[in-house]
Amino acid sequence: MTDGQSDTIVSVRDLEVEFPTTLGVVRALNGVNFDIPRGKVIGIVGESGCGKSVTARAIMQIIERPGHVTGGTIEFHRKRTEGAATDLLSEPEDKDAATRSGGVDIAKLDPNSRAMRSIRGAEIAMIFQEPMTSLNPVYTVGSQIEEAILLHQTDDKEQARTQAIDMLRQVGMPNPERIAKSYPHELSGGMRQRAMIAMALSCHPALLIADEPTTALDVTTEAQILSLMRNLKSEIGMSIMFITHSMGVVAQLCDEVIVMYLGRVVERASVDEIFYNPKHPYTRSLLRSIPRIGAKRQEKLEVIKGSIPDPYVRLPGCTFHPRCPDYMEGICNTIIPAETLLPGPTRHGVRCHLYSENNEGEPDPRATPQGADGLQDGKQPATAATSEA
Amino acid sequence: MTETTSAQTTAEKPAGSSEEERPLLQVSDLKKHFPIRGGLLRRQVGTVKAVDGVNLSVKRGETMAIVGESGCGKSTTGRTILRLEEPTGGEVIFDDPDLGPVNVESADRRTMEKIRPKMQIIFQDPFASLDARMTVGRVIAEPLVINKVLQGQALRDRVAELLTLVGLRPEHASRYPHAFSGGQRQRIGIARAIALNPELIICDEPVSALDVSVQAQVINLMEDLQDRLGLTYMFISHDLSVVEHISDRVAVMYVGRVVEIGTTNELFYSPKHPYTEALLQAVPQPDPRQRLEVVPLTGDVPSPANPPSGCYFHTRCPYAQPVCSEETPPLREIKINGVETGHQAACHFAEELSLKGAAVSSEETIPEAASAAGATTA
Repeated sequence: MTDGQSDTIVSVRDLEVEFPTTLGVVRALNGVNFDIPRGKVIGIVGESGCGKSVTARAIMQIIERPGHVTGGTIEFHRKRTEGAATDLLSEPEDKDAATRSGGVDIAKLDPNSRAMRSIRGAEIAMIFQEPMTSLNPVYTVGSQIEEAILLHQTDDKEQARTQAIDMLRQVGMPNPERIAKSYPHELSGGMRQRAMIAMALSCHPALLIADEPTTALDVTTEAQILSLMRNLKSEIGMSIMFITHSMGVVAQLCDEVIVMYLGRVVERASVDEIFYNPKHPYTRSLLRSIPRIGAKRQEKLEVIKGSIPDPYVRLPGCTFHPRCPDYMEGICNTIIPAETLLPGPTRHGVRCHLYSENNEGEPDPRATPQGADGLQDGKQPATAATSEA
Repeated sequence: MTETTSAQTTAEKPAGSSEEERPLLQVSDLKKHFPIRGGLLRRQVGTVKAVDGVNLSVKRGETMAIVGESGCGKSTTGRTILRLEEPTGGEVIFDDPDLGPVNVESADRRTMEKIRPKMQIIFQDPFASLDARMTVGRVIAEPLVINKVLQGQALRDRVAELLTLVGLRPEHASRYPHAFSGGQRQRIGIARAIALNPELIICDEPVSALDVSVQAQVINLMEDLQDRLGLTYMFISHDLSVVEHISDRVAVMYVGRVVEIGTTNELFYSPKHPYTEALLQAVPQPDPRQRLEVVPLTGDVPSPANPPSGCYFHTRCPYAQPVCSEETPPLREIKINGVETGHQAACHFAEELSLKGAAVSSEETIPEAASAAGATTA
């Protein structure tokens, strides 16, 4: 699946992140694999604690201590026209971060290295959930945007100022000159998030990571921000990695979807496949448990039994097995399912024993194989057609 | 006592028509204004009209939802009804099962002590609303102890019973809140709220902080408890899909005022106020084949300290006419072919406009149930 290097911007392979704590090691990511195609919006969904934010932070190399990447690679590719990504590696000690295909393995870079600092913000930018806590209250919005521009693009303060105001105009701020002079507390939630987006886009990044950017906003403002991001994506031609727990937002914005559960990608497919042909029991349960407008009222919402397990407990086999409605004794609780690629026009991968022909995955969590062996026709789920609630 | 405050209600009150149908809660012209102080002497320089003349009634046993964007005054309305905030004006008549109708806003201390146990609240943030230094048992027992309802073994038994009722185990009583997940904590908050057998529970965004799968569990629990204990809910939320699922009637608030009230079905599928239409259109549909092409509402909610003239919504309303910026439309009964429907809206053109209701996502996006029947647990 590492084909088509030219149109993937970031490919993450077997990424593992651990947080050693006094109560034990929390394995936040247990071998995460996915690609971010260029110019697409990729959605990462999952409940709290599934590792979606940690994945984003690993790509930015801003995981909070004592957490650290313990394995895997994060390969970053620039656009051909911008020169190879390896050009960013200026220091001799960064040379081993260069990959064979001309990309940079972010996981091998030191978080404070010059190369990482030139990627962070300029090549890959990020916006966060709560715009009030990510903006500095004692600086004006304009000066905070200028800071990023001065750091990565120009030394001319006057030019940085005009560029900042341009950026504010581009994100649909009314009266950008005035907004640039205001402090974050003077703006509403939606305006602050626009200011954050302006800041993130000020250096024209190739990839924008958005970590639940609309969760704290009202639906009407959310609709505005989603439409803005859609327009900016086509204008600037960047990729967006959109992290959310809202299935509605995913359906509205994303091209491809990754569903995560407890530090693993359990299903990945195009947005249409995820909503119209979901395969993994977790994805299916998630889709059934959301209240929908127009669904028959008074009908009980379906719930996923239990809750997300304690992060210190390491579950054997498939991590979803204690909550899974299709649990198979002896298989699901012992063997970690490998990713099975389902036949079809679009790529649809699922990590579930219901779909793998041979149930002989790898018992060792560190050696989870990756898709390639699962091209055979997945066993049709006995579940899909049989019973009805 | 109920007649003392002059109610300058603009709306027709369906209340008091017959003895049996007396609403549990009748809110008339409720106002809560917060002063803005400034300058050297901290003089009042302005007023935030957080709640500005709210009229609504809640029937016994129903779930009344209040929806609106943040800052519209829905939480303040809930808190003022319970008199956690002293109101600036208006009245709230609570039909106490023992005392009969009582005006909560002007009741004296002793009356309040009697009616407080009947009106409870569940808060949004299950992490902030439980005292981290009290065991769960003490958290749940506290209302029973304060009101001197039970003590000793009887108290412990009641706590165990409440824990079981909300789907936790009796042995959880000795643990501290930090040992529980968000959903479990919200269950503890619910157990505390139902400890005194209340009539009315004000639920202030009870599931907004929860994960999707846990949210469904808590919603089901709340519906279950409503059936078993005959509770009346006032459900404050900004999530319209949850509201449609749980509520019988819905009130939409905008800048401190109710702009529309109707049954859930009426309001969702034939809204009469342009703001309701915009809110419904903005809900992100979990269906990639139904993408929202047009942004339903631009701009921001006006500040309640300095609201626009006339209809507060005219600055963002796509149907606004000159009259909208001059005259404030009252909340009034909307008649369809001369028949009263109980549907109220505050719009000059409620009858003329044909507004779009909520979009419905395709049934195909709801995957079929899994093979194991255990998937639907009550």
